[in-house]
Amino acid sequence: MPYKLFDVDKEIPERKKHTYVKHCSDPEECMPHCNTTTIPGSMSERGCAFAGAKGVITGALKDVVHVVHSPVGCTFYAGGTKRYPTSPNMPDGSKFPIENFNLKYVCGTDLMESDVVFGGMKKLKQSIIEAAQEFPEANAIYAYATCTTGLIGDDMDAVAKELTTELGIDILAFNAPGFAGPSQSKGHHIANHTLFDRLVGTKEPPTTTPYDIGLIGEYNIDGDLWILESYFKEMGIRILSRFTGDACHDELCFMHRAKLNLVRCQRSATYIADLIKEKYDVPYINVDFFSTKYCAENLRTIGKYFGLEEEADKVIADRMAKVTPELEFYKKKLTGKKVYIFSGGPKSWHLAIPLENELGMEVTAVASQFEHEDGYVKMKNRTREGTLIVDDPNSMELEEMITKDKPDLILAGIKEKYMAHKLGVPSIMIHSYENGPYIGFEGFVNLAKDMYSNIYNPVWNMIDFEENPAPEETEIDVESGETPENEAKVSK
Amino acid sequence: MHHDKKFAVVNPSKMCQPMGAVQALLGVKNTMPLIHGSQGCSTYMRFQLIRHFREPIEVASTSMNEKTVIYGGEFNLMKALKNITEKQSPDMIVVTSSCLTETIGDDMAGIIEKFKDANLDNELPVIIPVSTPSYVESHVEGYNRTIKALVEHLATPSVPNGKINIITGNISPADCKQVKDLLYQLNCDSIILTDTSENLDAPLTEETLSLYNEGTSIEEIEDTANSLGTISLSKHVDSAAIFLEKKFGVKSISGPLPLGFENTDQFVTSVCELGDLEIPESVEKDRGRLLDAMVDAHSYNFHRKVAIFGDPDFVSGMTRFTSELGMIPSVVCTGTESERFTEDVKLISKEKGINPVILAGGDLFDMHQAIKKAGADILIGNAYGASTAKEENIPLLRVGFPIFDRLGAQRISVLGYKGSIEFVDKITNTLLDFYYDEAGYEIVDEKTEEILREEGDEGFEEDFMSKEEI
Ligand code: SF4
Repeated sequence: MPYKLFDVDKEIPERKKHTYVKHCSDPEECMPHCNTTTIPGSMSERGCAFAGAKGVITGALKDVVHVVHSPVGCTFYAGGTKRYPTSPNMPDGSKFPIENFNLKYVCGTDLMESDVVFGGMKKLKQSIIEAAQEFPEANAIYAYATCTTGLIGDDMDAVAKELTTELGIDILAFNAPGFAGPSQSKGHHIANHTLFDRLVGTKEPPTTTPYDIGLIGEYNIDGDLWILESYFKEMGIRILSRFTGDACHDELCFMHRAKLNLVRCQRSATYIADLIKEKYDVPYINVDFFSTKYCAENLRTIGKYFGLEEEADKVIADRMAKVTPELEFYKKKLTGKKVYIFSGGPKSWHLAIPLENELGMEVTAVASQFEHEDGYVKMKNRTREGTLIVDDPNSMELEEMITKDKPDLILAGIKEKYMAHKLGVPSIMIHSYENGPYIGFEGFVNLAKDMYSNIYNPVWNMIDFEENPAPEETEIDVESGETPENEAKVSK
Repeated sequence: MHHDKKFAVVNPSKMCQPMGAVQALLGVKNTMPLIHGSQGCSTYMRFQLIRHFREPIEVASTSMNEKTVIYGGEFNLMKALKNITEKQSPDMIVVTSSCLTETIGDDMAGIIEKFKDANLDNELPVIIPVSTPSYVESHVEGYNRTIKALVEHLATPSVPNGKINIITGNISPADCKQVKDLLYQLNCDSIILTDTSENLDAPLTEETLSLYNEGTSIEEIEDTANSLGTISLSKHVDSAAIFLEKKFGVKSISGPLPLGFENTDQFVTSVCELGDLEIPESVEKDRGRLLDAMVDAHSYNFHRKVAIFGDPDFVSGMTRFTSELGMIPSVVCTGTESERFTEDVKLISKEKGINPVILAGGDLFDMHQAIKKAGADILIGNAYGASTAKEENIPLLRVGFPIFDRLGAQRISVLGYKGSIEFVDKITNTLLDFYYDEAGYEIVDEKTEEILREEGDEGFEEDFMSKEEI
């Protein structure tokens, strides 16, 4: 049987079909069940659709005010939770006046009992009007339904339509209440459709070039997008529209003018690429920039598309010369280390092969909170025999895995981090990073460096559990005083 | 530019009731909080709690979805109760409602009864429902209702125990320890509602229990009916105390939070009167040390303007304490609308001759505007104050919840004489770092202006961004 029931799940046998142990000879359809409703009381780590819409897709925009139509909780929790910095640069060359505006403010309607009884439309309208007054620099206002407002049936689209005319800026309503769909993934989906329906094709870019691309599904976590942008710039390619990292509202309106769309996060943003392709005939390709190999391959593909192969090769050669010595050092240090990748979505399959091939690590478990079938197919194809592939895992299952399998490191979120620490295992935040960016050539070095410094910290040697003494893998090189810089010098 | 907002909240300074419920339950032994609603809430709350305490924290959810929303939450709640009971076998499950299940009108008590009836042959945990609609009041009220529900369901009169019940409100584990320590010094036996001191500041062991094996036990909560009295440190969480007084004649004393000199004196007096206790020399000495610390600090603190935000009793307590230090509270803000808070601050203002802008039910945006007008040399509050502090070029002294951009939030203490000593040192050193030169002399104004002109706001970097996503 390729499926495994954790000991901690004895009482919840439904969890079994979500946990698949990879066997190379298994038929294709063998994979974890996914994208289904969460089992109540299973201690899932999933978020809600509202979090998927505001927290992932729209929160990265630099010049938009967000009004959460909710009792105070959703508004509070949705503020300042994600690390996607923005620059003040606007497509027309002007500067947006407030730095990191998207991280600084979140507005809400602070619903009270009477609003729940009599409806919250008036309050929503007033709040949007006031938000427009408080932040006259904002170029659009996005309003969000949440569980309460989804239930009481406030017609947010009507309010948005009315106020768009009245205020003269785009007001959008996102109808992704928390209870919609099995996970935050539903919120990505709804936000994609809303943005496409309301915005794409409504404006024209200030200028166009034959080398304009749309970079879709890249949210600039800890500056990821800026790394990629530097590669494209050197190749002579311009990012016309970002969806949505460091983007402004108008960029979304002229997404249809890109010559080619690149889809970076294929879980959260393929929807809009498909819609644009269908309506405007803009082709798209799926891209992967995690690790040197994937990054080089994909830059070449893009170079080829635009007839810029040489330029691509130049960027690759330049970056490889910079990162190779350091990566060699880290590979030496990380070879044979056992690692888990517990990502929200696709990072599990993005990183599985790079960690193995480029850094010599052993990926023995991967998991995802909200991936769909296509993602699990990739996870299955990109992992070794015997790897555990878990859908919608919880901390008790992770604890069982750690205690039995004793990995050297886990890549996960903050919810798993301190639990792993208590078990004596270092953990790196893979959703929003430790010292990112992690994408591209330089980013992969940052990731390797973080993994190295987490595993080799002397503190792990001081933990002396009674039954299981400190694992010998965590020995450090005290005497040789090796650092990547020294090593790099030596190798030259 | 500021317009008087009537409807919108911008950067709220309060959270919803279920969060307060969870905060209260983190100090109860072997207990699982279960939020009856969509899963987003529990995930968001865990996220805030974990990045603040840097400890593993579990909060269960009934994971309602669009289908169950239509038919009601009975299936999901029953299923969650079953799964938690079987998988984790807690002593108690406390089910809190959410805006979702309150809006659809689920009868949680009825469903719990049904669950019990269906499981007559099985050993079940104690199951207690608490109604915590997010659209009524704030997390402070959620905390209050949860403690009340625990006591209502569990308190059982038997023989007098000679103890004092302490309802802590949402204070740090370190402050919980300070309060316990002070009671110990006073020779006072107590029941702490609820005791987070071990659970949320746990040593590194090889265990990571999804349930806490420390904290207030069910037996202790049962025994609260037999105590000499109840002291609610926060006036806003005294419903359980009032219940115990009415039903079992357990005397109730509400506040003030033992923060600073006068308030701690008052707490010590209350404890000694209730328990008929003498103040021992060690407590007298700590009191003397606090005075000594305040005297040592006085020339640096005097007439510094301070802005304070957070939970109502923390803010009023801090208003008094900073006034005791000779500082001038200029803006005091709490997200919770509360007359008690406003009255308290007005009383303190009259007594101390200060005139702060009082924002009760205010948000951080309002607070920022008020600081711009009234001025402040330092801001006291949680990590969400960082961008305001950065913009105003003043230091932020982090106290409260959540603090995710610095380490050791669980170890910040401000309560009791000892916690107050820590605070005096910390606030004074922060001012010294910011406004004084290496030799300990105040940097004169022209120079400050010059530095400002030269460096813009780059001189003071605040990492207000968090590093994690949901
Ligand atoms: S109430 Fe609903 S929308 Fe709000 S955080 Fe909870 S699950 Fe998400």
